[in-house]
Amino acid sequence: MRKYLTVFAVDWQNQFIYRLNFVLWRVRNILRLLMTYFLWRGVFNTNVSVFGYSQNQMLTYVFLVLLVQTLVTSAPSSDNIGGEIGNGELSNYLVKPVSYIGYWFTRDLSSKLLNIIFASVELTLLWLVFQPELQIPVHLLAFVVSCILAVFIFYFLNIATRFVSFWTPENTWGLSFLVIILIETLAGGIFPLDILPHWTNVALQFTPFPYLIYYPIAIFLGKITGIYLLRILFQSLLYCAIMYYFAQIIWRRGLKVYASEGR
Amino acid sequence: MLPKDVKILYFYSVNRLWSFMSAPYMFVLFIFSKTVRLTLFILLLVSLFHGLSNLSGFTRDQMIFFFLCFNMIDTAAQFLFREVYYFRPLLISGGLDQILIKPFNPLVRVLLGGPDFIDCAMLIIMTVITVWFTASRFHPAPLQWLLYFALLVNGILLAAGFHIFVLGLGIRVIGVDHLVMIYRDLTALMRIPVDLYIEPIRFIITYLLPMGIMFTFPAKALLGLLSLSNILISFSFAFLLLYLALIYWHRSLRHYSSASS
Repeated sequence: MRKYLTVFAVDWQNQFIYRLNFVLWRVRNILRLLMTYFLWRGVFNTNVSVFGYSQNQMLTYVFLVLLVQTLVTSAPSSDNIGGEIGNGELSNYLVKPVSYIGYWFTRDLSSKLLNIIFASVELTLLWLVFQPELQIPVHLLAFVVSCILAVFIFYFLNIATRFVSFWTPENTWGLSFLVIILIETLAGGIFPLDILPHWTNVALQFTPFPYLIYYPIAIFLGKITGIYLLRILFQSLLYCAIMYYFAQIIWRRGLKVYASEGR
Repeated sequence: MLPKDVKILYFYSVNRLWSFMSAPYMFVLFIFSKTVRLTLFILLLVSLFHGLSNLSGFTRDQMIFFFLCFNMIDTAAQFLFREVYYFRPLLISGGLDQILIKPFNPLVRVLLGGPDFIDCAMLIIMTVITVWFTASRFHPAPLQWLLYFALLVNGILLAAGFHIFVLGLGIRVIGVDHLVMIYRDLTALMRIPVDLYIEPIRFIITYLLPMGIMFTFPAKALLGLLSLSNILISFSFAFLLLYLALIYWHRSLRHYSSASS
C-alpha cells in the first residue's frame, strides 16, 4: 500500500509542473458546460417544466455534470497506456513489484482529487455568475456510492479499451474514440437520458454508459428512489464487477502477445 | 500559394490518403463514431421539441439546420487543417527544423500538409444531408443558396485564421499540449445558435472571438435572419483575422528556439 501512496504523492507533485496546461484544461471543461447550460436556459425561457424536470432540477443537473464528469473521467491513464504498450515502455513496469493496473488507478485518483478541487471552485464561481436556483440533494449517501462505483466502471472500461493496443499498437485511437463518443453522448453528459423515448432509456441500462454520469445525478435529484434506487446501485456494482473481469481477461491475454516492440 | 506549393501539397495529400487506406477498418470505425455523435445530437434536438413548440424563437427544423451548418464548417476545418493537431510534437522534438530548411512554405506544410480523409468522407455525407434537409424544409432561393455557401467558405477562412493563431501560439507557449482542443471546445459552443447565449457572452463569441460569425451567420443568412451589414461584417472579419493571423505566425517564428534538435 505504501508504494501506491508514494505513487500518489509523486503524481500529485507532478501535476503542478505544467500549471498553465492544467488551468487551460479546466477552462475547457467550463466551456463544455456553457453550451448545455444555455441550451436548457433557452428551453426554460418559455416552459415551467420539461420532461418532468423543473428549471431548478435541470440547471442542477447541468452543474452536477461538471462535477461528476470531472470525478469520473479525469484519467491520465487514457493518454498513456496505449502508448506505453505500443512503444514497449510497459516492460519497465512489468519488472517492478507493482501492479500496472493499480499503478495507473493510483495516478488517476491523484488527478481526480486535483480536478475535483478545481471543479468545486469553478462551480462556486459559475453559481455566483449565473445564480441559478439549485436543488438540494435527496439521497446524498447513495449519490456518493454511485459516484464511487462510476469511477471504477469508467476505469476498467477505459483500460480495457486501451489494452487493445496489445493487438494493434499502431492504431490505439480508433476504438478509444468510439468509446469516448459513446460516453460523451450516452452517459448523460449533455442531457438527462430520461428525455429519450422510454425504450431507449431501458435499453441503455444494459450498457455501462448511464452508470457513469446519468444515474448518479438522477439519484442526487431524487429521480431514482426506493426499490429502483437499490436496483440501480446493484446494477452499478454488477457492472463494476463485469468491467473488472473484462479488463483482467484482456490484460492477461494481451500480456501473452506482448513482444515489447521498440525496446 | 505558388503552383509548385500546390503540387507538393498534392503529394502530401496522396501520401496521407495512402496511410488512411492502409487501415480501412479504422476508417470505418471513425466514420461510424462520428455518425453516431451526429445522429445522437440530432435525436436530442428532436426529443427536445416533443415537449416544445420553439426554443427561444427557433423551430425544431431551424435548430437542426444550425447544428448541421456547425458540423459542415467544423468538419471542413478538421479535414483541411488536421496537421495542426500534430504540430506540438514537431516543436518539442525539434522536428520543425526539417520543415523550415526545406524550399517549401512552412506554414502551408504545418497547416495543410496532412488532410484528414475521414473528415473528408464525413464532409461529403454532411453536405448531402444538409443540402437535402435545407432544400426540403426551407426551399431557399438561388441567391440565398449562393449567400449561404459564400458564408460557409468565409467560415472556413475564419477557421484557417484561428488555426494559424494556434500554430503561432504553440511556438510561444510550448508548455501547453492541447491548444487546438481549446479552439475545438470554443467552437463546440456554436452547436446551438449564438442567440441562445446571454450578453455579454453573446457579443464576445460573435464579434470578439468570432465564433458566431463563423458558424451561426451562414445558417441565419439562408433563413433570411441576417442583415446586410452583418453579412459585410462577416467577410471583413475573415480577411482581418487571416491578415492578423499571418502577421502573428511570422512574428512567432522568430521565437522558435529549436530547443530539442
